[in-house]
Amino acid sequence: MARPALRLPGPHRRRSRRGDVIGITVIAVLLVALALFAPPGLTNVGVYALIYSLAALGLSLLMGLAGQVSLGQAGFFAIGAYTQAVLVTRYEVGALLASVAAVAVTMTVALLVGLPLLRLRGHYLALATLGFGIIVTVLATESDFLGATSGIFGIAKPEFNGRTYDSTTEYFLLLVPVVLLGLLLARNVVESRIGRALGAVNDSEVAAESLGVDTFRLRVQVFVLSAAYASVAGTAFAHWLGVVNPNTANFPLSVSFLLMAVLGGVGTVYGAVIGAFAVEGLDDGLRRLIPELVPGAVGEVQLIGFGILLTTIMIFLPGGLHQLWTTARRRLSGSDLEGGGPPADADATADAVAPPPDESPLLAREGRPVAGTPLLEVSGLTKRFGGVTAVDDFDLTVHAGEIVALIGPNGAGKTTAFNMISGAVDPTAGTVTMAGMRVEGRKPHVFARAGATRTFQNLQIFTSATVLGNVMVGRHLRSRTGLLGAALVLPARREERALEASARELLDLLGLGPDADRLAVDLPFGRQRLVEVARALALEPDLLLLDEPMAGLSGAERRDLARLLRRLRAGGMAIVLVEHDVEAVLALADRVAVLEDGVRIALGAPEEVRHDPAVVAAYLGVEPEDSSAVAVAETGPGELR
Amino acid sequence: MTDLLQLVFAGLSQGAVYALIAIGFVSVFTVSGVINLAQGEFAALAGLVAISAVGSGLPLPAAAAVALATVAIVAVLMERLTIRPVKRMTTLVSLILTLGVSTALKALMLLVFGPNAEGLTPFTPGGFTVAGVSIRYQELWILAIAAVVASAVYWFYDHTLAGKSLRACAEQPVAARLVGISLGRASLMAFLIAGCVGAVAGVLASPIYFTSWESGLTLGLKGFVAATLGGLVSVRGAVLGGLLLGVLENLTAGYISTGLRDAVAFLLLIVVLVARPSGVFGRHAEARV
Amino acid sequence: MSLTVRGLVAGYGRLSVLHGVDLDAAEGRLVAVIGANGAGKTTLLRALSGLIPVSGGTVTLAGADVTGYGPERLARAGLAHVPENRLVFPSLSVEDNLVLGAYTRRRRPAAERAHARDRALELFPRLQPRLQQAAGTMSGGEQQMLAIARGLMAQPRVLVLDEPSVGLAPRLVGEIFAALGRLRDDGLTLVAVEQNARAAFAVADHVYVMDRGRVVLDGAAATLAADPRVTAAFLGGGVSADGGGKPPPATDTAADAGLR
Repeated sequence: MARPALRLPGPHRRRSRRGDVIGITVIAVLLVALALFAPPGLTNVGVYALIYSLAALGLSLLMGLAGQVSLGQAGFFAIGAYTQAVLVTRYEVGALLASVAAVAVTMTVALLVGLPLLRLRGHYLALATLGFGIIVTVLATESDFLGATSGIFGIAKPEFNGRTYDSTTEYFLLLVPVVLLGLLLARNVVESRIGRALGAVNDSEVAAESLGVDTFRLRVQVFVLSAAYASVAGTAFAHWLGVVNPNTANFPLSVSFLLMAVLGGVGTVYGAVIGAFAVEGLDDGLRRLIPELVPGAVGEVQLIGFGILLTTIMIFLPGGLHQLWTTARRRLSGSDLEGGGPPADADATADAVAPPPDESPLLAREGRPVAGTPLLEVSGLTKRFGGVTAVDDFDLTVHAGEIVALIGPNGAGKTTAFNMISGAVDPTAGTVTMAGMRVEGRKPHVFARAGATRTFQNLQIFTSATVLGNVMVGRHLRSRTGLLGAALVLPARREERALEASARELLDLLGLGPDADRLAVDLPFGRQRLVEVARALALEPDLLLLDEPMAGLSGAERRDLARLLRRLRAGGMAIVLVEHDVEAVLALADRVAVLEDGVRIALGAPEEVRHDPAVVAAYLGVEPEDSSAVAVAETGPGELR
Repeated sequence: MTDLLQLVFAGLSQGAVYALIAIGFVSVFTVSGVINLAQGEFAALAGLVAISAVGSGLPLPAAAAVALATVAIVAVLMERLTIRPVKRMTTLVSLILTLGVSTALKALMLLVFGPNAEGLTPFTPGGFTVAGVSIRYQELWILAIAAVVASAVYWFYDHTLAGKSLRACAEQPVAARLVGISLGRASLMAFLIAGCVGAVAGVLASPIYFTSWESGLTLGLKGFVAATLGGLVSVRGAVLGGLLLGVLENLTAGYISTGLRDAVAFLLLIVVLVARPSGVFGRHAEARV
Repeated sequence: MSLTVRGLVAGYGRLSVLHGVDLDAAEGRLVAVIGANGAGKTTLLRALSGLIPVSGGTVTLAGADVTGYGPERLARAGLAHVPENRLVFPSLSVEDNLVLGAYTRRRRPAAERAHARDRALELFPRLQPRLQQAAGTMSGGEQQMLAIARGLMAQPRVLVLDEPSVGLAPRLVGEIFAALGRLRDDGLTLVAVEQNARAAFAVADHVYVMDRGRVVLDGAAATLAADPRVTAAFLGGGVSADGGGKPPPATDTAADAGLR
């Protein structure tokens, strides 16, 4: 599964809010000191750095949160700048009002552009955004209204309360609070429910979607937010330079935004500001230095430094300056923050904290479908890959409050069937109805909204999150703070606290309480499986799909898991499990379906299935026909148990 | 009618240039999964080297050879210095990495060759008119050489052990390693091919479309769009995609507006990809769970 | 030409899957490795042929230490790996798949390669009429035959196979295992990972049973075939790896589970 390598240092790892306050204060003090004591030449570079840092910050959010890269950030920067210029010079709108309008216009454009574009991923999205940037340049150059190649002139310095901010120092000081506010909002978003969900998407998209995260919607939101940051930068730029021309949408500018974000450390909020200062300093230095070294050098020669820097960072320091900082800090403190050690055999820990042998119903609640009513109806489900039919005309009805097992030899199509039911794979034919809602061919988050979720055969743990963080993603659908609420933080914090409390409660219930604040990947394998189950349960599903939950578990862990599943059934939950451990399945399930070569060859009570000769043959394997076989013990069906 | 023929013909010769660049994208992408954003710069660099070699007195064929060799070396160096050292090549890393190389190459060209756009001397100057359609000899050269090069690449992938081993790496990298094919060497070869076709495209295009330090950007983008139209994994698709794009661009420029010429490629890209998200790149869309 | 594995430890990233596996495949023997899903069989083969890094233990091929070799180098050293899911080169013809199978011998005389090709086709005559067909369009069984034939083109000294019988009709399984038997009789050393326990017992000389990253049982196929512990281990939940390979009585399965 492809993953962006550039990532946040775990947005859902707990960070102290005091640390952020200190961080922002330090930056504020540094910036003000720079404005007051630096020579004007340096402050001038600083003004550009502050302006660009906002655009870079937006890009950093897009890359860090949505895992997507835009090569057209300058396009949104230009839209902001042009809108501001038009409003201020043509319609004499006040600077502040104009900038609000400019940001609104840019966000609308970003939404319209993002809706089709964000259906693309990776390379395609990057190149499409690059194309978008070029289209903006072309339109600006072609439009007489926008002044064609020469652009729009005569944008005055902004004036607030009768005071004109026209000196370098004054403009710098005007920008400082804007940038600080931008930082604060960005940080809030990263730490929010939205940031957590997107971090999960970066770790495992299919798992996040199965927990109800609507990836596309969140990506569009972050894209629009990222454009908003660029447009604020654009409006500041328009006033500072006094001129806006097609060069503002230039590709090299997009590249330098990208460099700023990458240099500072993608997704690290502060990194963009530091990156912006570093890049602007480099820009200024190279523009002076290179013509001295190479006589006759003209134009954007500083790009050579940008290019080399970008390449070197990606090879040696993909986490940017932030990575350098964390490595240094780790070295200094001399401790291995990773901790944990290699995953050991899980039995010891599992036994130590195993819940008491309690068979009482678990997670029963009001509003569950009445036991016995059909919950999931699968009909004629078929999947063909090329010429191979992996699943052929599969039917299954699951009733509320029962455990159905799906077994069959390797390659029988069990996981494919699972993937189609849960929306991870589109079926070639057939229907899936969950709680009265047709979900076939829809995304996994639709399945989740219908009240069903799943776990995965090869674990899909959110590797950058703690156990608690993993489970809190499972509460995604049980919380509602949006991007705006997250940015403004106040209403969001109460919900966060409630969310955390309910997640901890669930962890305690499953005996995972003591591990809540550890990184999930540091747990032993068996515990990670349990985390996946806990995460799924956090959704409060009516139907739980488990893909080989017993695989890799020790005897004690299998026992505990089986008990857990029985208690959930008693609580009214329906469970479908794909399993290799026939013994466990026959003991646990109310009904068993058997797949072979994509065809359902049996469905019935465990006892019936156990004695079905076709099942025995399919499952234990068949003797090769033309070999002088040494027969395995005359394995009657009884041996299956 | 004459207009239409004229536009289509101009589109085909321009499309042939895109096709060659698109082959470069396909060659690298299939083997290493990297979209090489420096592909356009390969073409621009070849054009500028050829121009400057002719300027310093070399005959045209020799200048073209120097350009080809230079770009081939640059492509190979790029693979060894920037692609190979990366342990975990993800989409994001590969994009930023090759963007860095592309930016550095651009600036290097600016430093060495200056900011002005220039054109290489045509292989054969002049042209003729047939049924009202004016044809430059250079355009015929473009079509002929592009056809030869594309066929050669096609033949290479279809009939040589080296070519088949590259396809093996592209289709089943694990199995390729198990039969003893080195992925590192395959990647190097893929970049070499990309450099060579890019260089040919750059030298062919320069007399008509001119070359500057910046021209790699749009050339590369158009090449990418062409490759995407063809599915990004097929040489034949890349050629068809290139020709289609060239013709559509010229028709747009001729019938709608010259300014919109550059917008066509991206509208086409978005429309095709959004309309057929898995149809065009289905191989990569299906998540393995 | 023998293959010896001692104390092999390997896994994926932080997840350790093999916890010290020992295995011996003497020259001209067919060794089968069986076990439930997730037992670590495929990981064992991947570690053997260098597809994943080995973090402990040794692999010896014909007396030479080949631990830590990459797959390309191991292929040259005479180990051929027929991977899980066959992994034929789908758009290439059957002929070209065979040609690429002999990639490590590309500088040897053509006659040698032709000989290997003739032998492979003799072993799997079904491939003969399909030589010009794209490999991806063949049935699963034919693809499996091709994958084995491709492995043989390198004229290996040891052939390891990952689940050659998966998803195949019984008759095809028979054909493939018969072919493996003939290869063994010709003196080739084979290690086959199998899910189909009966097929494995029917043809192997020696059987290893794996569970959770360890070998929990091994013995001559003839003696082990009747051992009830095999069934228990193979169906999961039974033989415990925790006791360092000491298998509990088979009846323990039911008691252990407390599942019913």
